[in-house]
Amino acid sequence: MSAGDASVSKPVPVPDEITAPFWEAANRGVLAIQHCGACERYIHPPAAICPHCQATDMRFREVSGRARVYTHTIVRDNVTQGFAPDEPYVIGIIELVEQERLVLVANVVGVKPEDVSVGMPLRVTFERLNDEIALPQFTPDGGD
Amino acid sequence: MDEFSGRAAIVGLGYSKLERRSPRPLANFAREAAAAAIADAGLTVDDIDGLGTIPNIAAYGNTGDLEGIDIVTVPNMAQMLGRERGIRWHVQTPGLCPDTIMTAAAAVASGACTYALVWRAVNVPKGRYSDFSRARAYGDDQFRAPYGFTMPAAWQSVALRKYMHDHGSTREDMAAFVVQNRENTQLNPKAYWHGTPLTAQDYLDAPMLADPFCLYDCDIPVDGCVAVVLADAERARSLRNPPAYITGHAQTTWPTRGGFTDSEHMWEGGAAMGEKLWASAGLGPDDIDAAMLYDGFSIFLYVWLEALGFVGRGEAASYIASGATALDGELPLNTSGCSLGEGRLHGMAQIAEAVLQVTGRAGARQVEGVAHTIATVGAGTLASGGLIFSREPRA
Ligand SMILES: [Zn+2]
Repeated sequence: MSAGDASVSKPVPVPDEITAPFWEAANRGVLAIQHCGACERYIHPPAAICPHCQATDMRFREVSGRARVYTHTIVRDNVTQGFAPDEPYVIGIIELVEQERLVLVANVVGVKPEDVSVGMPLRVTFERLNDEIALPQFTPDGGD
Repeated sequence: MDEFSGRAAIVGLGYSKLERRSPRPLANFAREAAAAAIADAGLTVDDIDGLGTIPNIAAYGNTGDLEGIDIVTVPNMAQMLGRERGIRWHVQTPGLCPDTIMTAAAAVASGACTYALVWRAVNVPKGRYSDFSRARAYGDDQFRAPYGFTMPAAWQSVALRKYMHDHGSTREDMAAFVVQNRENTQLNPKAYWHGTPLTAQDYLDAPMLADPFCLYDCDIPVDGCVAVVLADAERARSLRNPPAYITGHAQTTWPTRGGFTDSEHMWEGGAAMGEKLWASAGLGPDDIDAAMLYDGFSIFLYVWLEALGFVGRGEAASYIASGATALDGELPLNTSGCSLGEGRLHGMAQIAEAVLQVTGRAGARQVEGVAHTIATVGAGTLASGGLIFSREPRA
């Protein structure tokens, strides 16, 4: 009963005043996460004011790209345009090694959906959507 | 207990018929529920001088703002009631129904209006549910829609996976809740799933939408409307029904931070809301005789049972499986079937059943000797709210 239309493209992120540095870095193949200069914590998604300490000294900092599966779902029936051919696909809540509960959403790729498990080590990879947008994605990390 | 506790009550309650993909316009459902609620209170249309609703469609991803078809706003209701000149106060609050009900309660308690009608009209949107069909993703969506993380069912399924991993619960545990809930539903003739039993095996065999979420972890979208009438405590006493006094209230601004990525926010936000709720009523979990906790998705039961302190962290699954939350258990839970069984009324199922139980009007599923009930709505985060209803005005 999947109804996503394979002939149309998937939704493309629209960077804004707060998030633009994240996408500019991703477009260069770099995972950069917003960092608060006052409390030294990473923040994602990016915010105008630090949600932890209310400071405004917000910069973006390159991170290692190493992560683990915090939790995930295997989508078998979505209706969003462009995703039907991918089903089943894995959406990971990805916890970066830099900070506890520093999580972002990405697909876990390069592995069978049923082989993904909570805690699985991952590393970032990038999926190019167009000239301006490359999506950070994650794939199992062999531990080199 | 705060100064607002016990100053307003729900005095009337009305349902439309609950259908799916009905050819009838939503306005008809809203008018049906409004008329039923006003009659239930023993009032007439001309007594209503306050109106409140949630003026947006209740589905993420879908669009639709056709008046009388997708939404029923205050001006439309005023016109349907023939009360354009008589409405002294009104409000439209986006989000979930507790915000609207609390605002209306404050209005009747303050005298801004005398009898306020609050309704929530919902429809099953055209096409598929949660149909995110936009080519561009803005705001929080820019970090999830490009990954196909666009269904509320998927957002909440990651929370269930984490819960199962952290606390060792199983799908069989959740089946116990869903089956218990469906049994309660069989005692509720208004419910969409009334007359349709469900076994644990049905649950375990159901199609997976977003593993570990199957079809029956999601509530059942309906076309329908529930309406309530509110009055101040003094007027409430003189009306035909026993009043359901609002003795506790809480709202929360707790952020989802990224839109349901880290499910811990639901427990943290729910606990923060719970502290406010118990403090406002001067009550605690042990005082509650029946609980109507939001079950738009099954995992929310674990969130609320634990965040409100009914059980400790990680204990909800085994608590439910023990039978403690059955109709004859120590904490009867979602006795009408609520969202999973009665229908996706965006919280009004919880409010309505909490009112019916505390006023002794729950029919075949009535719990004995109910003094206090609780209704929560939402996921514990932004726009969530909770109400405590009591048989007596002061807790
Ligand atoms: Zn900070």
